[in-house]
Amino acid sequence: MTLKDFLNFVMKNKDTILEYTGNHFTLVLSAMLISLVIWIPVGLLLTKSDRWAARVLGIANTIFCIPSLSMFAILVTIPIFGLGRKSALLALVLYAMMPLIRSVYDGVKSVDGHVIEAARGMGMSQGRILREILVPLGMPIIFAGFRITVVMTTGIAAIATYIGERNLGRFISEGLVRSNTPMMVTGALIISVIAIGLDTMLGVLEHGMVPKGLRHSRARGGAG
Amino acid sequence: MIELQQITKQYSGQAIPAVENLSLSIPVGEICVLVGPSGCGKSTILRMINRMIEPTSGKILIHGEEVAYKDSDQLRMGIGYVIQQIGLLPHRTIAENIAIVPRLYRWPKEKIARRVDELIVMMGLDLEKTRGSYPSQLSGGQMQRVGVARAMAVDPPIMLMDEPFGAVDPIARNNLQDELLRLQKALKKTIVFVTHDINEAIKMGDHIAILNAGKIVQFGTPEEMLTKPKNGFVENFIGHDRVVKKLSLFDVEEAMQPVGCLVSDHELGSAGKKMKAAGTEVAFLLNEEGKPFGHVTLAEFKEAKGDLDGLRKRALRTRTTFTQTTTALPEALSLLLEFDVDYLGILKGEELCGMLSFRDIRRHVYRKEGW
Repeated sequence: MTLKDFLNFVMKNKDTILEYTGNHFTLVLSAMLISLVIWIPVGLLLTKSDRWAARVLGIANTIFCIPSLSMFAILVTIPIFGLGRKSALLALVLYAMMPLIRSVYDGVKSVDGHVIEAARGMGMSQGRILREILVPLGMPIIFAGFRITVVMTTGIAAIATYIGERNLGRFISEGLVRSNTPMMVTGALIISVIAIGLDTMLGVLEHGMVPKGLRHSRARGGAG
Repeated sequence: MIELQQITKQYSGQAIPAVENLSLSIPVGEICVLVGPSGCGKSTILRMINRMIEPTSGKILIHGEEVAYKDSDQLRMGIGYVIQQIGLLPHRTIAENIAIVPRLYRWPKEKIARRVDELIVMMGLDLEKTRGSYPSQLSGGQMQRVGVARAMAVDPPIMLMDEPFGAVDPIARNNLQDELLRLQKALKKTIVFVTHDINEAIKMGDHIAILNAGKIVQFGTPEEMLTKPKNGFVENFIGHDRVVKKLSLFDVEEAMQPVGCLVSDHELGSAGKKMKAAGTEVAFLLNEEGKPFGHVTLAEFKEAKGDLDGLRKRALRTRTTFTQTTTALPEALSLLLEFDVDYLGILKGEELCGMLSFRDIRRHVYRKEGW
């Protein structure tokens, strides 16, 4: 394959590329949105009970271990999901469970107990402690988990092409079948760019969301 | 007044209750120290007062109102709380940390800012440097000052302090203790202070409760603890140097006696006569400006046999043997031994206002308690 072949392919299939990229994006974004709405509260709830945390994290771990092709195959056999977006979304949300719950749980649990004790002792309510202390202080760990989840979801979404999703994964799978190298490269390249791009954007966002006092103490290598 | 009535706290899964049927009245405007070995229940008692821990049975009343019926957050907002680990919010500036409780009370912004500045200055911290910095930029002693300032932010009448100075170095601890005592003189808060250090208890407490295994072994003033320990446990806990510890209850001003005889430098020759006339054994010497620069004893005067230069030389060796009225007795005793002299001149500012000998210390300690 030469660069010319590749450019030719891109020029000829502009509309398809745009359509697949759009589909890929909407799948990843909706999966992430649903995951955040469900798993962040679950992660926060789990910090209240160590017993439940062990159970739920165990389940999340098990789900995470299922290979993605198997997962899609299993979901397709369930009548209400079937082929298509519903199964794809469900699979991605299930995969996001482990990294999101884990990072929220670990992030909140990493907050110094004495800080919480002092806050309670001053009369701060549970909700206030959560908003003003636990979440901001757990943010570095929570955000690390969030970034991993986004990158991972972008990758797994490509595999959903096997259950009928018309997205960038299709270029790769069809390209393989037809031995069409420009097609494969186009899919692989755009997926990688999306993953790297999202991660970079989140990195910038993270810098703005991690509290300044924390950045300072980390730069100094801990409390002095 | 804080009143604990037959409080028992039984943690689940523990055979012996952490606190057992304990009653205690904590007087208003005083520092009441709970002291005892670790696991004696002192922290549990403290934390039941602001409902961080709920008692298994019994009542706790603050100014006659039972705390169990109050909203726990509201209750805590009205009680200052300081813990050993301080628990400053690492992502908030010092000013924001101090402003936490005022913010819970929804004070207006300007009022909060004014109060925060006032507290930073009151705690002896550099206002401009401290206000905007983060906890990690402060030393342990400074952080604990901020911890105390934060607890005092809305001027609560009651403060609970759980080993507040336990984690700072001895010098900073001493400063913090002195500072708190100085503030307390003016603020007259009701302070419940937990420590495992009997020396700190004796220094800080108006009253001390010595605890063991969830029960009060003895409750009383530091003087009572030191002079009339109730049993072997208290005696052991205080330690065998309790007489020396007792010295720390007093400062020089209380034990000193008036200077019997003052002699100007040029009258040195007649010092013996003057001492005899005044019925004293020692004369303090004044230079031309009327400032004391040493002392001679009657014995030294006699020994000199009129050799005034020799006598003056001897007197000059005692030119540093002065201390201030606020010096604690253990320090004064240590100075007497260090300088190897029989008398210390006691200064108030620059003015000589008394003198102190071994005999004065002994007499004071014994007279005070009638041993």
